[in-house]
Amino acid sequence: MPLVLVSILLPLAAGALLLMLPRSDRALSRLLGTVVAAITFGTVWLAGTRDWSFHWLSRPFVSAFHFGATPVSFWIALLLALCTACAIAACRVERTRDFVALLLALEGTMLGLFLSRDLLVFALFWDLMLVPVFFALVGWGEHPATAWRYFIYNFAGGLTLLLATAAFGVIYGTTDVIGLPGVSLIGGWAPWIFAGFAFAFLVKTPVWPLHTWMPPTYAGLPSAMTSVVSGVQSKAGLYGFLAIATAMMPAALYRYATPLIVLALISLVYGALIALVQNDVKRVVAYSSLSHLGLIILAIASGNRLALDGALVYIVAHGLFSAVLFLVLGYVEEREETRSLPQLGGLGWSNPRLSGALCIAALAALGLPGLAGFAGELLILIGVYQNGYVWPANVALVAIVLASAYMLRLYQGIMNGPQRKDLPVRADLTWIEGLAVAPLLAALVLVGVYPKPLLDNAVTTVQSGPIP
Amino acid sequence: MTLSFTGADWNAIAPIDVLAATGLAVLLADLVAGRKQSRYVSIIIGLVGVLVAAVVAGRQFGHEYDAFFGGFMTGGFATVFEEIVLIGTAGSLLLYSTMGAASRVPGTVAIMLWSACGAMLMAGAANLIAIFLGLELLSLGLYALCAAVDRKTARESALKYLILSSTATAFLLFGAALLFGATGSVMLADLLNPSLASNPVFWMGAGMFLIGLVFKLSLVPFHTWTPDVFEGAPLPVTAFMSVVTKAGALAVFARFTYAALPAGVASKLLLPVWIVAGISMIVGNVGMLAQRDLKRLLAYSGIAQIGYIVVALAGGTPLGLRYAIYYLMAYAFMNLGAFAVAASISGPNEEGSELSSYNGLARRRPWLAAAMTVFLLALSGLPPTAGFLGKILILAVTVANGYIWLAAALIAGTAISLYAYAKVIRAMYAPEDGRHEGDLRPFVPLAWASAAVCAIAVIAMTFYPLTPSNVLPLVR
Repeated sequence: MPLVLVSILLPLAAGALLLMLPRSDRALSRLLGTVVAAITFGTVWLAGTRDWSFHWLSRPFVSAFHFGATPVSFWIALLLALCTACAIAACRVERTRDFVALLLALEGTMLGLFLSRDLLVFALFWDLMLVPVFFALVGWGEHPATAWRYFIYNFAGGLTLLLATAAFGVIYGTTDVIGLPGVSLIGGWAPWIFAGFAFAFLVKTPVWPLHTWMPPTYAGLPSAMTSVVSGVQSKAGLYGFLAIATAMMPAALYRYATPLIVLALISLVYGALIALVQNDVKRVVAYSSLSHLGLIILAIASGNRLALDGALVYIVAHGLFSAVLFLVLGYVEEREETRSLPQLGGLGWSNPRLSGALCIAALAALGLPGLAGFAGELLILIGVYQNGYVWPANVALVAIVLASAYMLRLYQGIMNGPQRKDLPVRADLTWIEGLAVAPLLAALVLVGVYPKPLLDNAVTTVQSGPIP
Repeated sequence: MTLSFTGADWNAIAPIDVLAATGLAVLLADLVAGRKQSRYVSIIIGLVGVLVAAVVAGRQFGHEYDAFFGGFMTGGFATVFEEIVLIGTAGSLLLYSTMGAASRVPGTVAIMLWSACGAMLMAGAANLIAIFLGLELLSLGLYALCAAVDRKTARESALKYLILSSTATAFLLFGAALLFGATGSVMLADLLNPSLASNPVFWMGAGMFLIGLVFKLSLVPFHTWTPDVFEGAPLPVTAFMSVVTKAGALAVFARFTYAALPAGVASKLLLPVWIVAGISMIVGNVGMLAQRDLKRLLAYSGIAQIGYIVVALAGGTPLGLRYAIYYLMAYAFMNLGAFAVAASISGPNEEGSELSSYNGLARRRPWLAAAMTVFLLALSGLPPTAGFLGKILILAVTVANGYIWLAAALIAGTAISLYAYAKVIRAMYAPEDGRHEGDLRPFVPLAWASAAVCAIAVIAMTFYPLTPSNVLPLVR
């Protein structure tokens, strides 16, 4: 069986098989889940960009179950496998077995999305990846309404994606086009089709004002799931922009550049300002995501090659540091039984390892040179300047400065200050907990110091020539 | 002209004969079988009869023949719809394994089989008399079936169905009479005369004929009877009505729109129908939101789903017909599956039709809950189910035909419907709230098997989208 297919089917099958284990089991399902996710990391790596195809439809348009990494999705798929492995290793929830099965299902469906080379299959997995998160929100969420908000918002996005895909297929004759050079959709329908895709991508990313599902979802899910959803699922929209919108409809993208830039800037600043005043630590990171991903939308809308390369680096970087942030905040919540910033404080004294992990992730998030966030931010800003968007770049700079403020506020609020009397003193990270975040931290440093592999490939696939 | 029929004429309706004879066989077997076995004996004989009829009908696929002077056409179109009717009948018969008083099962099974004969007749009917005959045969059985349970709501349901359905039939019949007046012929093919476009009698006749059909399809504004009738009727009958009746009506509607209307007339005459279908998608899905009863929920859902199917026919393209049939087939499996799950957790009082009885089902019956999840995902158009593929196919063909507003209505309706379907999923998987912990229904092999087959079919149809290719030439 081709490796790329194994990568997708293995987590799905493993998730289904896990349900056969005894319900009370905790350790074994976590171990198996971690191993399976680690194996998929290996298979994605080994499969490289080799593809596999199985004919599906010949009418009304040609479509195939065509899987294979593009140089862009290769990195995101690796990120996904890594985040999932770490999340499963770190997860500590009730009904562990079912939760791990859902995480594996989420990994499988999202790998299907990122590795699909066919628009219709992309749309299929787009809808499918919502289901595990919905189930997690139903079973482990804090509030029932959150599940609806998440599901209905994103399903609505999925439907416009579906309509746009159908229209694309009817006009272009085939949907087997992702990663194919030279595909371009022109004509009167192109802007509408682009709008259909863009709506779905903007909901998923999310961007102001479509973000209202996001903070409760990120806060309400168990941290392990949040780290995957925020780290990788939110990248589905951005990947869609890179692989579909930028590659196939550059003219339409250019036409909508101004509204996209405006939305991106509002998200950047609004997210940063809210993050500055939020007291729920998970919501701080959720709003910081809104801000950071706005930067990537800005890069995509600018249409500059360097910015697009930077977007890929930043996609990976954000995936890594937001995954660590949520995992670490999960540890904090588990230990202190609160997520409220005013109630927390002084944990660093008793939990140096926990404090260190949070510190590195926060520094990466605020763009410290040497860590992954900086490499992406720098490229994006230079690229956006290059294409003459001076004011947007300036506004983005302000938001990046704000990022230091809220990230330091978050870190200091939790770790620094005098040790609080009213908080229980718990043991520092166990070696399993430490091991769960270590690969992510290592990757943050690695990408920060040596982002070249990501950049080498990106330009060739994101075929955005100079946009008219 | 002497009316003489050849063997080929009788061969054409052989599947219907098989089904009719099976009904008699069920009644005869009941005389022999003991009281305890009569339920299963009836169901098994019924299933065997349906299977034989399906094989006989399947052998006619591709063999075009105009039986009874063009009154009944065999070939592709009729066969496909006959098979869907038979699937629906089999799926409904299976539900009697848990439902109803044992003494009544043989009689109701026989009537259901005869009703199905009417729907099969509609599938091939190509003149106005045959259409009417099929419709009446289908409906007459249903009036009795609706009332075949000791419950006040069932009698109410039967009476409502009788009165409203008769009204619809009256419209249809009056329309048919006017069409006959306009053309002097009962053949659908004779309506293709372009000179009819200037004949007001034809317009009136065609309009009333369509109203009758829309009523049977339960599209807005003639949909209000559906939830009440569905709620009151016994569960198997509800399943039967939701699939078989609609398949029969859809066959007539498709044949009428594709084969009986002059090109210039069709676009004007049918526009109201497309609008009505578009509104049905919204109204049906909104109506679902507040329901607490599975049968009512599926009634509203059916209003919307039939809307999707009718929309595929807008534009009158061959591809549209194929996708309508594909979606109808998928819809049959999703609905029958959902009803099979409901029957599996029901006792004689049909507890399975109350949505509250699904609370925590995943704990008690994980496999049933998983199957139900598949059906609900399919109904809401989520992958990896035939509902997803059916929607994208219909969207594609609708967009290609230029009915972008219908595609938009479909999208809007689907977005609304998600809440109603996912509410049931949520109830099944939400952490247990303690209610309904004790009442675990025994394992019912037939109903479980039906649910399993439907679930597999719904998923398999996604990956192997079989749409019969040579149907259109055979509509004629």
